[in-house]
Amino acid sequence: MAAMARPLPPDFPIRSQLLARLYDEQRRAGWIAPGFADAIARELRLPVAEVWEAATSYADFRSAPLIGDEVRCAGLSCQLARGAFAEMPSEASHCLFRCYDAPATGGEEPFPAPMVRQAGPLLAPDITNTDRLNAARRLGRDAALNAVAESGLRGRGGAYFPVGTKWRAALEERRPIALVVNAEEGEPGVFKDRALLSLAPRRVVEGIAIAAFILEPAVIVVFANGQADPAVRSLEEALDIAEPQLDVAIVRGGGGYVLGEESALLNALEGRRPVPRTKPPYPVQSGLFGMPTVVNNIETFANLSVHFGDVPGFRTRGTPETPGTKILSVSGRVRLPGAYEVPLGVSLRKVVEQSGPAVAGEVAVLAGGPSGGFLSAGHLDVPLQPGILHATGAMLGAGGIVVLDAPGDIRDAALAMARFNAEESCGKCTPCREGTPRLYDLLAAGDVDGIDGLAEVIQFGSLCGLGQMAPGPVRSALHFWPGVFA
Amino acid sequence: MKLNGVSVEATGSLLDTVLAAGIALPHLCKDDNLPVIGACRTCLVEADGRIVAACSTPAAGVQECATDSERAVRIRRGVLELTAAMQSGPAGAAGGPRSAESLEAYASHAPRPGQYGLRSGTHADLSNPFFSFHEDACILCARCVTACQELQHIGAIGIAGRGHTARVTPGAGVSFRESICTSCGSCVAACPTSALRPKG
Ligand code: SF4
Ligand code: SF4
Ligand code: FES
Repeated sequence: MAAMARPLPPDFPIRSQLLARLYDEQRRAGWIAPGFADAIARELRLPVAEVWEAATSYADFRSAPLIGDEVRCAGLSCQLARGAFAEMPSEASHCLFRCYDAPATGGEEPFPAPMVRQAGPLLAPDITNTDRLNAARRLGRDAALNAVAESGLRGRGGAYFPVGTKWRAALEERRPIALVVNAEEGEPGVFKDRALLSLAPRRVVEGIAIAAFILEPAVIVVFANGQADPAVRSLEEALDIAEPQLDVAIVRGGGGYVLGEESALLNALEGRRPVPRTKPPYPVQSGLFGMPTVVNNIETFANLSVHFGDVPGFRTRGTPETPGTKILSVSGRVRLPGAYEVPLGVSLRKVVEQSGPAVAGEVAVLAGGPSGGFLSAGHLDVPLQPGILHATGAMLGAGGIVVLDAPGDIRDAALAMARFNAEESCGKCTPCREGTPRLYDLLAAGDVDGIDGLAEVIQFGSLCGLGQMAPGPVRSALHFWPGVFA
Repeated sequence: MKLNGVSVEATGSLLDTVLAAGIALPHLCKDDNLPVIGACRTCLVEADGRIVAACSTPAAGVQECATDSERAVRIRRGVLELTAAMQSGPAGAAGGPRSAESLEAYASHAPRPGQYGLRSGTHADLSNPFFSFHEDACILCARCVTACQELQHIGAIGIAGRGHTARVTPGAGVSFRESICTSCGSCVAACPTSALRPKG
């Protein structure tokens, strides 16, 4: 239960303790009372209104006690497995991240090894020594940085930004760097970071050590999903036995899809309302408390370990622009749901066929979750690589693949995604906060005419990717199956 | 750089450049005295083919900026229609010194009335002796909160709740009167609507 087994450095601004205090209180009491906000505000010397902003801005924090029993998963695959897209009770969770075990109830569990349906270098049996870190050390900092840049490695959180470019930009600031390890994994239908942390935590930790060797950060913080206890425990155990020891803080989050946006995550760490910041400045220029900040995803760190294990070999997998492998999280109407580690560029159809689709009508796929889009059976011959897979919205993103039955599931699935985006809008900017609930209403009412104009405003007007990509599932569903919304 | 086809000098942000050239552009969450917020999205322009928020985009590096392209105007109007639908209160209520800014934005963009059904808060807080707060006029631009937190360093108000539950609130669900508000009036001075109203 102890959430701050690894607290942030004591010389950090005191407001950085706020999230951990709120998290602990939510776990202890099941909700955060106004009286608690008052007390914590006095103790941390913060205005109570600012404490209340943070306390009320996370999906998992409640400002009233929870009444009811079991948490049931409202993710797409679990709703499919339950056979009903009924209104979910208030104790429904957007995703319990056990889509391979649908319909899921209760809490999280360690990722089961048999659910790795296809392993590659990332999901291979965990490492037992520090050979790859030693290889990076032998190269020296500069040569190791060049090796990362030349590897062509791109971030695996969903945006696929070149890792070497990001690191160089932070180093060019010539100020102490903050290294943030993103283990928030909050997209429904994606469980690959949980798989890595449960099954290959030492590979992840070695990747962090390699990054720390090159970046020499002043602070390393893991931002870990607040629900993912088994994965976090596994990471802590790997950190405990790491040689040499790494000075790493672990902060647990309060949930919310917007934490996938780097600057919202940094605001969360600073004890502020977790909403995106305007850019510039970018986090690499001015991020956590103004430090040049590198944020990378768990899967990216695992890739660093893999890369330094076989520098020439890294580029032999995947495509020239995007080398390496990617862990896909496959769920939905398939016989073999789970984690599939594939070389980037593999055809989507191949992955779908491997997973054993079991549909009554035609196969359809949701690629990229609530920020992606649907694809019909005729559009599965696309290579899985960064960038859009179809102009209407489908994309690789974090690698979530949900197999659906078309046309039977499409209406419910599109509405579920539209509702998710409306509920997960952080509320900062007008097009997303005001537009996404109306997009859901228009779709539910079958008012197809109004959707185009509104979708344009949300896509081009919103501040961050959550809003900008929210129209994808709606647009793509209407494009491929206009009839089901009539 | 070229602004609506005319050569101008780039200064600061695109919004600074636009306003310096004497061109009107709504900017409902950007107040001269306050840092960039980026919440209202009423300052959208087309810069080198991309729709961007003028307030948070540096002018340096932009070759061509259009405030008047058909696409930019259409999307701004859409944003303003969503903004107007947040205001269900009586029209014409007198606000603070900047409250005309929202009315000017509507006047210049002719949002289609009733394009989106009204969806606004209803809470009113009359407890402060000098001003009142009316949720039915608030567009959640966050100017008031930014003025209170970052200009005055008081932090009496914040935005509580996510998504469509977000609301301007003093303290942890208390009234202005019960909060640490010092009645300095910075929030009223910053508000681009009549949501924060001087009394009497
Ligand atoms: S697009 Fe949505 S999630 Fe992103 S800042 Fe705007 S309201 Fe928040
Ligand atoms: S009260 Fe006024 S300044 Fe504050 S968020 Fe609402 S509209 Fe903006
Ligand atoms: S003035 Fe630019 S987003 Fe509000």
